[in-house]
Amino acid sequence: MKKFYLLPCLLLLAGLTFGQATKKRKGTFSNPAQNQKETFLDKQWWLGFKAGMNLSQVLVEKRYSALSPGNYDASLTDKGYDDFSSPGTQATLEVTFYYKGFSFSLQPGFRHSVFTYSNNYEWTDPENANNRLELNYQNEQKVDYAEVPLIFKYDVIGNKLRPYVQVGIYYGFLINANKAVEISGTDYASGGVNEFRNDPVIIGAKDLFAKNHWGLLGGLGANYNLGNVRLNLDIQYRKGMSLINSTENRFGSDRLSGIGEAMDDIKLNNLVFSFGCLFPMRYLASGFKTLDQR
Amino acid sequence: MMKQLFYLFLGAMLMVSCVEETNPEFDQKSFTKIYDNNLFTINYFPIDMVQTEDGGYLILGGRRLETPSFIGIYLMKADKDGNFVSDVEVDESFTNPVARLALINNTYRFFCMDPLTYQVHLAQTDANLEAVNIEPVNGAFNYPCAAQADGNSFILLSYDDLDKQSVLTVLNANGNVTQSRAFTIGAGEDVDGPILRHFMRIGRQYPFEVGRIPGGLYYFNGFYNYTFSLVFTNLNQDGPNGVVNGNQEEGGLSAVQPLSATKFAVARFSFDDNYLVPNTTLNPTGISSSVNLGGNTLPELEPNARIKILRTSINNKNVLVYGSNTRSKQIGLYFYDEATGTFITSKYLGFSNPFEIAQVISTEDGGLAVCGTTYVAGRFPRICLIKLHPDDLSKVK
Repeated sequence: MKKFYLLPCLLLLAGLTFGQATKKRKGTFSNPAQNQKETFLDKQWWLGFKAGMNLSQVLVEKRYSALSPGNYDASLTDKGYDDFSSPGTQATLEVTFYYKGFSFSLQPGFRHSVFTYSNNYEWTDPENANNRLELNYQNEQKVDYAEVPLIFKYDVIGNKLRPYVQVGIYYGFLINANKAVEISGTDYASGGVNEFRNDPVIIGAKDLFAKNHWGLLGGLGANYNLGNVRLNLDIQYRKGMSLINSTENRFGSDRLSGIGEAMDDIKLNNLVFSFGCLFPMRYLASGFKTLDQR
Repeated sequence: MMKQLFYLFLGAMLMVSCVEETNPEFDQKSFTKIYDNNLFTINYFPIDMVQTEDGGYLILGGRRLETPSFIGIYLMKADKDGNFVSDVEVDESFTNPVARLALINNTYRFFCMDPLTYQVHLAQTDANLEAVNIEPVNGAFNYPCAAQADGNSFILLSYDDLDKQSVLTVLNANGNVTQSRAFTIGAGEDVDGPILRHFMRIGRQYPFEVGRIPGGLYYFNGFYNYTFSLVFTNLNQDGPNGVVNGNQEEGGLSAVQPLSATKFAVARFSFDDNYLVPNTTLNPTGISSSVNLGGNTLPELEPNARIKILRTSINNKNVLVYGSNTRSKQIGLYFYDEATGTFITSKYLGFSNPFEIAQVISTEDGGLAVCGTTYVAGRFPRICLIKLHPDDLSKVK
């Protein structure tokens, strides 16, 4: 838990430092009182909440399997990952400090991601075509993370509608993971064509995943000022930079290794769509006008 | 502000350093491997296994032949990560391998049989299975039942089907006989039926075993005087020095591990039941009965279960590892304190598909490797290898 709080605390500290920094203007004549007021009005804190859906993509660093074939190429049974196919969800708390078009944002949140893959096996008999079995293993992984993204944004243009671009870094802490394996197939050796589908094996798989991971993010979005509230639409692409599987516990589940299943070394990329609203933390003019309405 | 930036940077670096990375050391630390073959009718099963000097694993196995009679010979090499490297299906002119695989003069040796003459042969291969050489042993020895290395010699139990005798022989590394003694299994027409069915693998597989009490008597676990018995002999006198009698084919010892001159770790079977006896005293020069040995009954084990006993040290503790097959089709490992016979813990391997044990060995990292058979897709018998690191056995202490 210590680790969990370390980064946000540091980031808040840094944010406050940036937020309170003053900059002296040199060589120009100005009214000091007016300057102080303008500097004050260029800054704003925003607090908000966002939620939405995400799609996952897996990048394989190294392939593994509990099945080690002796007479066929192992690549024939490689896992085939389904990219950006299974929707997940996320919810985020956003704390943003704005200063002259630039924003520094901390967005701790919860992310539930889903990714799937399948692999196929076949056993045949060259001397008897009826001696044949085809199996398909359909695997679904559901992983829950607490994430702490640190993001820099730049408002490109606009006043009421303010599009922005963003880059950042995030760190994720594993909360929970589940894995479901459904085996289906066709058995030609039982006297006919027997198509079957077994009930899925569903297991808790937290030990099979890495406790922490990190990544980079980039994206774009837009804020729309509606009264004192900002509506926000945000799209991020998150690129995983470290493995999300546990390399030490790869064969830790007898239920999975017993059917030949072992996790590859993988990184997880995400396409994250969020919608939310932000509230100003300072009212800068009479009548509770915010920065953009002064 | 520079100070705060420094702390921010340091904090971020610390957190990034905690993330997961590919680590080749973990690949060989613990794993489960199933050696698949996509041919529908292939049937491989392991008999024995050793860890080779390169950290890999050499597996001696059997295979079902197209014309059912005896079982063929199959050898397989896996690397230190457990991945398949190569295999050899030995010509059908040699069958029925028996072992403990013994490393002598840089070659791994085991015994097998000519299926036409039943003559015992000594086979040898290298760690990479580049060649398999098979030569007949000197002497008329048939039907190899069990073998064990004793230094640079071999102790071999074979069956003489003409005189209906169990034959215990000591051979040197080249297959030349130095000592031999025969023990009658009893007279009668059908008395050797179970033995022959064992060899054709169409009946019950009997736990034949041979060995030697350190520096003392030789022993074999096999048929003697109509009974599956543990027989002690010095190979000099006619008849045994001592016998632990079983109960015809329905009772006897299913595994034997001498700990000292009279102290043994054994397992016994009696009318389908199994009993683990991790600390017992046997009299090698007297007559006793396995029925009186008592033991821990484990109803979870399958009837007449195959049982392997490994004497080893795990996490700096001398333990006896009993490996067997459960009714739930898992491999059960039961750990006992070698000094007292006290139960320590158990561990179960395999799930989803059936798993059966063939051998359990110590590995060079102080862990265990378990070799067995699993049934891929619930039906195809395939060799499996499960490696356990001492960290996986943390309850053994």
